[in-house]
Amino acid sequence: MSVVNPELRATDPPDHRVGLLTERLRDQFGDQILCEQATLTGMPVFWVSRRALVEVLTVLRQLPEPFEMLFDLSAIDERLRSRRHGLPETDFTVFYQLLSVSGNRDVMLKVALSERDLSLPTVIPVYRNANWYEREVWDMFGIRFEGHPNLSRILMPPTWKGHPLRKDHHARATEVDPYSMTVESQETEQQALQFRPEDWGMQRQSDDTEFMFLNLGPNHPSAHGAFRIVLQLDGEEVIDCVPDIGYHHRGAEKMAERQSWHSFIPYTDRIDYVGGVMNNLPYVLAVEKLAGIKVTARIQTVRVMMSELFRITSHLLFLGTYLQDLGAMSPVFYAFTDRQKGYEVIEAITGFRMHPAWFRIGGLMQDLPKGWDRLVQGFVDWMPARLDEYERAMMDNSLVRDRTKHIAAFDTANALAWGVTGPNLRATGCNFDLRKQRPYSGYENFDFEVPLGNNGDVFDRGQLRIEEMRQSVKILQQCVNHMPEGDYKADHPLTTPPPRERMLEHIETLITHFLQVSWGPVLPANESLQMIEATKGINSYYLTSDGSTMSYRTRIRTPSFPHLQQIPELMRGGFVPDLIAHLGSIDFVMADVDR
Amino acid sequence: MTYTLTRVEDALAAENARYPLGERQRVEDPMQQQVHRSVFTGKLEEVLNSTVNWGRKHSLWPYNFGLSCCYVEMTTAFTSPHDIARFGAEVIRASPRQADFMVIAGTCFMKMAPIIQQLYDQMLEPKWVISMGSCANSGGMYDIYSVVQGVDKFLPVDVYVAGCPPRPEAFLQGLQLLQDSIQEERRPLSWVVGDQGVYRAEMPSQREKHRDRRIQVTELRTPDGI
Ligand code: SF4
Repeated sequence: MSVVNPELRATDPPDHRVGLLTERLRDQFGDQILCEQATLTGMPVFWVSRRALVEVLTVLRQLPEPFEMLFDLSAIDERLRSRRHGLPETDFTVFYQLLSVSGNRDVMLKVALSERDLSLPTVIPVYRNANWYEREVWDMFGIRFEGHPNLSRILMPPTWKGHPLRKDHHARATEVDPYSMTVESQETEQQALQFRPEDWGMQRQSDDTEFMFLNLGPNHPSAHGAFRIVLQLDGEEVIDCVPDIGYHHRGAEKMAERQSWHSFIPYTDRIDYVGGVMNNLPYVLAVEKLAGIKVTARIQTVRVMMSELFRITSHLLFLGTYLQDLGAMSPVFYAFTDRQKGYEVIEAITGFRMHPAWFRIGGLMQDLPKGWDRLVQGFVDWMPARLDEYERAMMDNSLVRDRTKHIAAFDTANALAWGVTGPNLRATGCNFDLRKQRPYSGYENFDFEVPLGNNGDVFDRGQLRIEEMRQSVKILQQCVNHMPEGDYKADHPLTTPPPRERMLEHIETLITHFLQVSWGPVLPANESLQMIEATKGINSYYLTSDGSTMSYRTRIRTPSFPHLQQIPELMRGGFVPDLIAHLGSIDFVMADVDR
Repeated sequence: MTYTLTRVEDALAAENARYPLGERQRVEDPMQQQVHRSVFTGKLEEVLNSTVNWGRKHSLWPYNFGLSCCYVEMTTAFTSPHDIARFGAEVIRASPRQADFMVIAGTCFMKMAPIIQQLYDQMLEPKWVISMGSCANSGGMYDIYSVVQGVDKFLPVDVYVAGCPPRPEAFLQGLQLLQDSIQEERRPLSWVVGDQGVYRAEMPSQREKHRDRRIQVTELRTPDGI
């Protein structure tokens, strides 16, 4: 199935379709469309009235080229923002970002709310994956969604007081009394985490059987980290289940409001913590949009090369654990041997294994070291034979096939409705890969294919990633063959840290350098957004600058969050071992869910 | 060598006590006192102690427990390129009741802390804790509302491994340091014989031990070549 028209690119201005869309909405909703905001997000941003919100979303959902996916939903506490000239009065703004796969474009709606009346109608009837996002907004900002079936905290502990992303909530743990735990408080917290089926509209028994409630996690060998899922079981059969997240919430979005634009880079590494520098990419690209920096072809190519190296190590980790969850012991040993080979290359180039934080605003930390090509070539030569072997030994294995074929299968429509992206979406046959559809950082110069699946089942999700590794190896080879010459830092005043040579000219340049290194660069007030095809799906950073050395609001949209939200729908009627197989095939890390 | 003594009876939870439980006090090597009482029983106990400790330190079973990024490097230490089996610690247990030590590999979240405490309580004595990575050591780069600033705010930690994340080799070194300290431990040999306290040796700080050698480095390799 191919739903994408490659001729159309949402980021290519001017897009005549934006005008058409504006006209269409203005015609139908008149002054309910309050205004259109000019931003650097690359998509039209409309402010709509609270009354019209659900209707506007419904219309957008049903256009001939519909916005099939609610890509992101979150909020901004605008009370301390000073540079918002010409925008509607608001204390809190909730934004809805929609993605159209068929039209390959986006749109954002914003709703203004006053502090005295923080409530909105839920949009679950239009986009069902709004469920978790609305809970997150409630948890982080204290905005109510009328009609939501279960508006409870999702990231913070149920006993938490306050809403962390409000500007008046403390950011640092050291701003308040040090943490302590008593025998009693431990008991209370544990009680608060107790699962009560009634809260989720579940029956404790049916006419002929009493259900068992099994608590899997937050520490379970196949839960891939601190993830909990409560199962309602009738024997081996899963009647229903409730994923419970938030055990890995590191407050990365709040952290961004306390770090300079430059010093936030290491925090991005730790979002999808097996994705390494790939995480830096959407962030630095979004910052570069704000700053107006254009980087050299060499910088672009090195960034692509390092990202693809990390895609391979991440997929290898996936492959090892996916098969281990199915009960195969040895693949993980093979896969980690290859990961070690990959890390040898990564380490030689960046000086670090997992979290190099190696990309910079307007460039890289340093140029490629002498002899890098030999190393990368060695890795490129090593991998293909291994991949063939994995395919033969594992994916052709009849036990693996029996455990994975037609298990937890879903189709493209279902995937889009839940916000599924990346390999998991492509396993359903939907050809949507941002590297092709909206090339960034020079991906348009590479020759590679986008592997697709057919059935969208556990098997396809595994097989597809082996295929993706092959394509990444192909990209690496092209990097080795055609690495452009050029600077590793862009020639721009906001490049951080600025080239050292320029500092030593006279006292003026010294002072400028000093300020930019100590306080960090000041970025113009505006909003920008960058999506990339990360290891697990589409990862995006939506930055709001208020013209200061720090971000006013950083929204990090991660792919794994919606992937987990989809689990209950797939697992109803399945068996417990199917759930384990499915968890293995999603490829998630909890930092990519809870941030 | 000085020791830290935790009496067994103190480690029981009183009403509203604060974690970590148990009174700790610094004492001299208990063996010294034994030796003054009787040279023979002193020697015998020493032999028994070190035999038992030798057995313990070479068959440490880790609890399969991970929190975040550091866990990936911990797992890496278990696979072929690093092969933790060389140190007798490859038998990962999925249940805390079968494990000897727990590695807090990753960030300690406030939502997770009560659960970590419960899992620790479910482990049977003798048990040890390795804190792996800056997050578990001190909160690391996450001085943020949802993170406990160091797992030692509520758990007794035996070894701290520095790094963000520490390399697998560093984790293995931490494991060996734990083994060294286990060798020096004095635990009750039976419920009827002798003192029932747990004496943990105060091991020398690695930073101080290596400082002299480290500051002698004068030439650092440039990162321009591989
Ligand atoms: S210490 Fe660093 S690598 Fe380890 S869990 Fe914390 S952030 Fe991750």
